[in-house]
Amino acid sequence: MMDRYSRLQTLVIYAALAVFLTFILLPFVEMFMVSLRPLEHLFSTPYRFWGDDFSFAVYRQIWETVPLLGRYIFNSIYISGMVTAITMIFVVPAAYAYARLDFPFKNASLAIFLGVNMFTGAVLLIPLYRVLRTLGLLNTYWAMIVPGVAFLIPTGIWLLRSYLEKIPRELEEAAFVDGASRLYTLRRVVLPLAVPGLIVVSVAFFIGAYAQQFLFAITFNQVREYQPLPAGLFEFIGYQDVTWNEMMAASLTGVLPVMVVFLFLQKYFVAGLTAGAVKE
Amino acid sequence: MATLDLQNIQKSFGDAKVLHDIDLAIRDREFVVFVGPSGCGKSTLLRIIAGLEEATSGKIVIDGQDVSRDHPLDRGISMVFQSYALYPHLSVFENIAFPLRVAKMPEPDLKAKVARAAEILQLTDKLKLKPGQLSGGQRQRVAIGRSIVREPRVFLFDEPLSNLDAALRGDMRVELSQLHWQLDATMVYVTHDQVEAMTMADRIVVLNGGKVEQFGTPMELYHHPATKFVAGFIGQPNMNFLPARVCGTDTAGVAVEVANGPTLTLPVDPEGLTPGDAVEVGIHPEDLTLGDGGMTMKIHVLERLGGQSITHGHLGGTRICAALPGTAPIREAEAVELAVAPSACHLFDARGRVARRRDALALVA
Repeated sequence: MMDRYSRLQTLVIYAALAVFLTFILLPFVEMFMVSLRPLEHLFSTPYRFWGDDFSFAVYRQIWETVPLLGRYIFNSIYISGMVTAITMIFVVPAAYAYARLDFPFKNASLAIFLGVNMFTGAVLLIPLYRVLRTLGLLNTYWAMIVPGVAFLIPTGIWLLRSYLEKIPRELEEAAFVDGASRLYTLRRVVLPLAVPGLIVVSVAFFIGAYAQQFLFAITFNQVREYQPLPAGLFEFIGYQDVTWNEMMAASLTGVLPVMVVFLFLQKYFVAGLTAGAVKE
Repeated sequence: MATLDLQNIQKSFGDAKVLHDIDLAIRDREFVVFVGPSGCGKSTLLRIIAGLEEATSGKIVIDGQDVSRDHPLDRGISMVFQSYALYPHLSVFENIAFPLRVAKMPEPDLKAKVARAAEILQLTDKLKLKPGQLSGGQRQRVAIGRSIVREPRVFLFDEPLSNLDAALRGDMRVELSQLHWQLDATMVYVTHDQVEAMTMADRIVVLNGGKVEQFGTPMELYHHPATKFVAGFIGQPNMNFLPARVCGTDTAGVAVEVANGPTLTLPVDPEGLTPGDAVEVGIHPEDLTLGDGGMTMKIHVLERLGGQSITHGHLGGTRICAALPGTAPIREAEAVELAVAPSACHLFDARGRVARRRDALALVA
């Protein structure tokens, strides 16, 4: 294909991208820089971005300062993973039903789902606390998983429904004429074609769950062993001082496995998109 | 294989009535084409036969058995969709095998059936490919393959060639006709293309506004159209309609005075026509000949196809088209004298109904 943009346009596009990326990525760079230097240098004036005393020492120290750090990282991924899996189990059939079936109050219930989405978790913390207490789920993993799932289902239905609607209806009609049941069609025809959509949605769930868990963790869970990373990071705040460098190091370490997974998924996502595009 | 009877089929979407009292008896092993302009209800009718839509009232009877409430599978029909509806993630083999997998057919039988279908459709070396790797014509054949493995009683085709380019469409027409011979099956085929209808059909159903205008062989439709609509729809280029006035009826037929043209005595039944009535004379472009017949056509556009010269122009204020010999000595922007044999003319009354032609042309049926 020919170049669609002139040299100047390309330049402007890249400049805009650079500004945007700087804005997004600079905090991470700063986190990384902070994690590399000793605590006392952080408060030295004038502040220097570059120093000759950089070291990775804190990346070893963090595991000693907070012995449960590994556990926190695992918890974060475990909770987000569980939330994603359970949400998918609910959302896939629901989204399919909204995309294809006719039933009473279809549009009304969809609107309600959207309405529910407008409440943040924070508004509902107290009622949720009571519900979880009644169910006896406080201070368990479920205290963080169940509300996470509940808050993601509406978004999930909206996201996946619009994706499923784009799958040609004729494919399902063809399967129907050939005697396939709804569930068989869903399994053999619809879901395989929806794989790119399913990945997008589950990535959205995972990120959503990751972001939500802090709030639920500090309100619904007191057990240290079950805390996810964002809550666990509090332990770097000591009585006298905050070990910022270690906290930054721990944050980066905790985010790293997730980032690696997403880098891998992104490739898969692009591959999935092109595989679907060949069909017409 | 099977007969297919449609009895008083009606269909409404809300207040909109899209099919009115459709009554058709399709014979065993017949290739019937539903043709009509878009929105005439032909696809809806096919979907009702398939069981994808339910008729508001009426019955569908296959082989004497009322199947109106049955699942498509129990009706014994299979359908080829306009978009082919192939599963892009499955190989050609799995696409063709899909109905058999649903039916949980044992693997050896399944393989044998798919292999046989692939052989008929010349897809044997394509079985491992995905639909995305095939050309339009090959995809079409896969879709047909999927419909034949189940050995249905009636095949339904919903505009299967409309996504192909013109050259390929011609080839596929021949292939489909051959397939009909090979499978010896009852087939119902929907199209908006009258050429497809004329070339492939044993009989054609012309639909207009949810009603059957005419049901007959291609030659019946061409030589004895029941209505002006059918006459205008069948034949390429389209029939000319010249405004005229009845000036007398007698045993020889009906004498009409064509506006800006000659007075002709057409050998048709005069029933219901009285002198002074406004009528229209229908003439196929290929029935117009060079010669002094009292019609002077002003030529606007001349399309020389080699064998024929398709001549577009005006007769008085009416647009007409004539298919003249390829070597006709005519030019654009000039005038030409045309003639027509009265026996080749069709006569339509003000409501579009035809006056029956007496000279029964030898029908090729």
